[in-house]
Amino acid sequence: MKTLIAISIIVLVAIALVPQIAHAQLAQQTAPEKYLDLRATVWNEFFRMTTAAFTVGAVVSGTMIWLVWRFRESNPKNKAPTRWEHLDDPAAGDPEEGH
Amino acid sequence: MGHDTAEWVFVAVVIAILVYVGADSWYTEKLVEDVPADATVIKVTGQQWYWSFEHPNGTKEISTLHLKVNHAYKFEIYSRDVMHSFNIPDWVVFEDAVPGHVNHAWFAPNQVGTYPIQCREYCGLLHYNMRGTLVVEPDSKT
Repeated sequence: MKTLIAISIIVLVAIALVPQIAHAQLAQQTAPEKYLDLRATVWNEFFRMTTAAFTVGAVVSGTMIWLVWRFRESNPKNKAPTRWEHLDDPAAGDPEEGH
Repeated sequence: MGHDTAEWVFVAVVIAILVYVGADSWYTEKLVEDVPADATVIKVTGQQWYWSFEHPNGTKEISTLHLKVNHAYKFEIYSRDVMHSFNIPDWVVFEDAVPGHVNHAWFAPNQVGTYPIQCREYCGLLHYNMRGTLVVEPDSKT
């Protein structure tokens, strides 16, 4: 799990940084324009924001999918109740009495 | 690693991305709104159902706007009657024309050509035909 999270963070950072670095290098190679290119600026911003939105979507939905998969009833890891699952359930009876 | 760690990493990643979104948008908005000091002011007036343009030297044009390539232009956008919206899609110029209010937009065309201008706010029966043409011409001085 630790490795997965670490890899995910590294991939996210790479996705954010690589285009920025590439863009900065390209800007150094070409002569600066006298005026800002609005078209390029606005569309670049649009694609950066789209990438960010899809990344947030992937992180949130990925977490939810993992949550549902990990804590499903049929998962062998869930046979023994966790320490958070000793809840008062009148229908379940008292485990101390052996019901 | 306990549950807490994974949850905090999740929260941190999402917050980091959202902070990046906010900071980057703010910076880009500042860039885009910064009108060059040497921009030529063009008065744009919308009325049912055509656009008229006035250059600084008093020259007026109806529906067709002639500009020079590699110059910056600042539009002062007026409306004589109802809400219109001045849009040059190819140059991402898009600003409402509001009666009694002056709006601004700017751009600096870097390609010669002919581009459509259109009204993007429903303004009555002939809204669909409230179109114009932007002609970006070579600069004879360069």
